[in-house]
Amino acid sequence: MTHTLHRQGSRESLSRDYPLVAVMAHGFNEKGGGPKLGRFLEICWKHGPVNLGDMKQGSIFTYDAEQIYKNVSDTTIVECVFDDLSKVEAVLRDLKKEDLGVPVVVSGLIDKVDECCKKVGLQIHTVAQSLGVWGKTELLPSKDILEITTMCGHAMVAANLVEKMIEDIKKGKTTPEKAAEKLAKPCECGIFNPTRAAELLAAAAAK
Amino acid sequence: MKINPEECIGCDLCVPVCSVGAIYMEEDVAKVNEDECTECNACYRSEICPVDAFVSTPASEMPWPRVIRAVLSNPRVESPDTRVPGRGTEEVKTNEVSGRVKPGFAGLAVELGRPGVGTRMYDVQKVTMALAEMGAMFEPENPVTVWMTDKKTGKLRDDILNEKSLSAIVECGFPIGKFKAAIERLREVTKELNTVCSVVSAVKVAPDGSLATDPIYKELGITPRPNSKNNVGLGRPLFKFEEVK
Repeated sequence: MTHTLHRQGSRESLSRDYPLVAVMAHGFNEKGGGPKLGRFLEICWKHGPVNLGDMKQGSIFTYDAEQIYKNVSDTTIVECVFDDLSKVEAVLRDLKKEDLGVPVVVSGLIDKVDECCKKVGLQIHTVAQSLGVWGKTELLPSKDILEITTMCGHAMVAANLVEKMIEDIKKGKTTPEKAAEKLAKPCECGIFNPTRAAELLAAAAAK
Repeated sequence: MKINPEECIGCDLCVPVCSVGAIYMEEDVAKVNEDECTECNACYRSEICPVDAFVSTPASEMPWPRVIRAVLSNPRVESPDTRVPGRGTEEVKTNEVSGRVKPGFAGLAVELGRPGVGTRMYDVQKVTMALAEMGAMFEPENPVTVWMTDKKTGKLRDDILNEKSLSAIVECGFPIGKFKAAIERLREVTKELNTVCSVVSAVKVAPDGSLATDPIYKELGITPRPNSKNNVGLGRPLFKFEEVK
């Protein structure tokens, strides 16, 4: 649950980070939903996401997008991420027109998502809000690391690996873009935003 | 997860891949601290090992209670109880169709161990029992709810309490009139945890665009993050909502 929520960062950085999730409702419209979820991904792919995936298959950092969207099952959850809100607007416009009946969630800055929905004649139906991290917060890594690791809500992107990538960038062993691709790979769902990660890695390595 | 010592060449590339730091080097070979390992399989799937020394056990072959680590930590493993991959349920994702979060009602999800710290189930139980005291209506399709021996007290099965996962979600709901007290109780109990938790609330948006939880958060001095998860109402058929009394 909520694997696209709890992403940390400044408003400026989050303004280039919009994950979309689609899943059929178990016991309501799930039967025969696989091809509809596949079509959802195909529409998203047409508009140029920075990542895309299927929880049961993996992401474009492991498989071809076409292979993913042609093999979607009824009971999976499919995802993609955009770094540009105008692309999200184009996706929502297409989805509304096609009326697949697939429940869709758009995560991101609520005022921006609301504005985007209104432009295409949609209204936000239900909202999940993050109240932050509570408990023994002294166990957490630094803010710079969390801004990157929280882009995989299942914690598949390890803080130690992010630290290693930052060190490798500092030593000239890799680039922020290549490091971001390496970090995107373990995030099976395809919700890790590699373009935002590259920006954050470059900034962290420059400190 | 295990590492075959006969295959390992001691390159230590795998050590930083583990989110909970369960892989370590000893006598020039990589080893897995199985008590700390959450069976998330991220190390195995990373293909980081140049000699394929990882030995992964499929969740279907794991004994009880160790299998709950995989159910809660490996996003590829589908919960046999909820049939949803990942560690939670559909929650707000399908609300326009399922009607799970109704007007007059607030959903609450407390994800222990997130981000990236991990949790033992005894910490999860502290939260389930505290919220049960406040009258939590636990989500029946969530794996943590399934492992309760008593939903009225929030008590979990004793045999799972020392199991560790990347995270575990306590998912429940309250009539909006009881929500403030539930959040206050949650604030208290999280001070007793040996881990962190990420906290989420969920409400159906009112026709005027407002959220029923906004005045409660104002009163409690809580500022939700600016980035939320928004169901945009494209699912069909639409659920017919009625007020929860």
